[in-house]
Amino acid sequence: MSEDRPTSAALARENEELRYQLEEAQELIHAIRTGAVDALAVQGAEGPRIFTLQGADQGYRTLIEEMNEGALLLTEDATVLYCNACLAGLMGRPLSELIGSAFDEFVPPASKEYWAGLMLRGWGGKSKGELLLQTKAGALVPFSVSMNMLQFNETPTLAVIVTDLSAQREITAIRAQVAEQNALLDRKTQALKREEAARLVVERAAAEASRMLEGISQIAWTTNALGEHTYRNRRWYDYIGQQQGQGPAAEQSWRQRLHPDDAAPTLARWQQSLQTGQPYEVECRIRNAQGDYRWMLGRALPSRNEQGEVMQWIGTYTDIHEHRLALERIDHGQRQLRDNNEQLTRVNVDLDNFIYTASHDLKAPISNIEGLLHALLVELPPATVQTEPVQPILHLMQDSVNRFKRTIEHLTDVSKLQKEHGLPTQPVGLAGIIHDVRLDLEPLVQAAGARLDVDVAAVPTVLFSEKNLRSVVFNLLSNALKYRDPGRPPHVRVRARSEAEYMVLEVEDNGLGLDAHNEQRLFGMFQRFHDHVEGSGIGLYMVKKMIENAGGRIEVSSRLGVGTTFSVYFVR
Amino acid sequence: MQKLSSVLLVDDDQTTNYLNQLLLNRLGVTSELLVATNGQEALGLLEEHCQGATTDCPALILLDVKMPVLDGFGFLAAYDLLPLPEKQAIIIVMLTTSLHPQDVDRVGKLNIAGFLNKPLTEEKINTVLHNHFNRSLPTA
Repeated sequence: MSEDRPTSAALARENEELRYQLEEAQELIHAIRTGAVDALAVQGAEGPRIFTLQGADQGYRTLIEEMNEGALLLTEDATVLYCNACLAGLMGRPLSELIGSAFDEFVPPASKEYWAGLMLRGWGGKSKGELLLQTKAGALVPFSVSMNMLQFNETPTLAVIVTDLSAQREITAIRAQVAEQNALLDRKTQALKREEAARLVVERAAAEASRMLEGISQIAWTTNALGEHTYRNRRWYDYIGQQQGQGPAAEQSWRQRLHPDDAAPTLARWQQSLQTGQPYEVECRIRNAQGDYRWMLGRALPSRNEQGEVMQWIGTYTDIHEHRLALERIDHGQRQLRDNNEQLTRVNVDLDNFIYTASHDLKAPISNIEGLLHALLVELPPATVQTEPVQPILHLMQDSVNRFKRTIEHLTDVSKLQKEHGLPTQPVGLAGIIHDVRLDLEPLVQAAGARLDVDVAAVPTVLFSEKNLRSVVFNLLSNALKYRDPGRPPHVRVRARSEAEYMVLEVEDNGLGLDAHNEQRLFGMFQRFHDHVEGSGIGLYMVKKMIENAGGRIEVSSRLGVGTTFSVYFVR
Repeated sequence: MQKLSSVLLVDDDQTTNYLNQLLLNRLGVTSELLVATNGQEALGLLEEHCQGATTDCPALILLDVKMPVLDGFGFLAAYDLLPLPEKQAIIIVMLTTSLHPQDVDRVGKLNIAGFLNKPLTEEKINTVLHNHFNRSLPTA
């Protein structure tokens, strides 16, 4: 061409031809890409080489194009001969850029050797492996790669399927999550089944309890472990005068019916039992159908399952209203008795003080009167003293003074006796004392022609002060003789016997006797029932005091005209 | 018998004082009898008769326990504080009725010559004269 320069017409022709070829190539590429043609001409060193997809079915191609895994064909020098849209997506490159490029550029340095091995085995027939590829964005993504050597127009190519493993790993992770959640669900199902079984046990127990409780005569109820009511028997509804389930629920609750004064302590007791599992017991007032509060004894016990947990509480309310009121009456009575006792004790103390003061304060004036009487006697002429009526007047005055002094002496004795409380006692021989007293009274016995029988062998000794025992025996015996019936000779029997708590001395006479009305007054101070007998009226009072001071007591039984028996109880 | 210089009777009961005066005069125990109806009056009499060169300061005081204004115990407490020159020579005897146990204890602790149960008799006076003044009444 150097000799003969091409003409412009020739150049235009050549240009026209090249453009035509270019258009043809472009159309061809388009046709191949869209599947319109089955061949591809690639310009090689020895001229263009044509690759056609002879025999390939249009359906397969669509399948390849549409599938969700990357697919590509590699030439022997690992040039991308073909690839589908999915691969372009995975690699993050446009399809046009990928086709004709070297696939090696997606293999990161660390994977190069492995990739070369895979390729080598692939060209040998088949190979499979997993490796990291570098996408356009630079991220390393795990892929599984499967290679097949295919003959393409007698030209060997390597068909490669590329699967994104990161997705699969995500799926694996999701599967693991799903499995975990399934296990959790299983566990929850198991737990629900167990709870259901437990609930059935509780319900069976409650049903059993209520079946039994319906028949009993007390108000009965059950609650769950939290104290929420689960059952009340008929008696309760009878008590509050309502039908079960009728009216507002709150009106049927015992809480609403507690007496305002009892509510706080009762509810506190119940809470305490719920918290500790300790038995519940309380006395409280609960309002009935008529609006009256009645005292109830409330009791409840927890019923437990095999694990020892409280399943329910079974309780009763027993009407103790009458009982409680009776107790209160008794309590009131006892309080009153105690008050009366205290008052009596105070009166007794006052009386003791009075006796002491009286005996003390009366002494001075009476001894003054006596002194004045004596002074007068000295002053009066002896002749006057002997004349009537001065002599009997003086005599009676002296007599009155003497009686006054004797009374004061008795009072002094009584007040001394009162100070004797807690006087030491000792075993005193009873028979000996009676013998001594009998000797002292012998003149009286003789004068009355009395018969005296003594049998005290059953009680050798009593615990008493000797002096006081002598005084007691003397008083009883001398009384028996003094108050004799003039119509019959006196017969006095003295007996003794031993009882569980007491030694008893009895003095029985056949004397005048007393009617029942006078029996209790017999032991009063200065009480006299017979005016024909000399007596101070203080003897039996003293006897009673002495015996009571030593913890014993004296009793009398008497019949008018028949006789009297005194029984002295000495503590053992 | 040599008479006591003076005797002081202290009792709120005028009859008792009268009878005791009668008895002491009859027995010729003293030539001078002083009478007070309570402790306060008795203190006044002591101050009056025992100061300076008087000769009628009581040699014996017969003292009642229960008295208005100032009782026997009160008198003794005040008497202890009196600055009397002849105090050592004065004999005090308490006259009592039956004593409350509590009062017996109290009297036992007092700084007195003794106590006698009422009423006062010739025999009791003789005992006092014998024990504290080393003299006795002429036998009748």
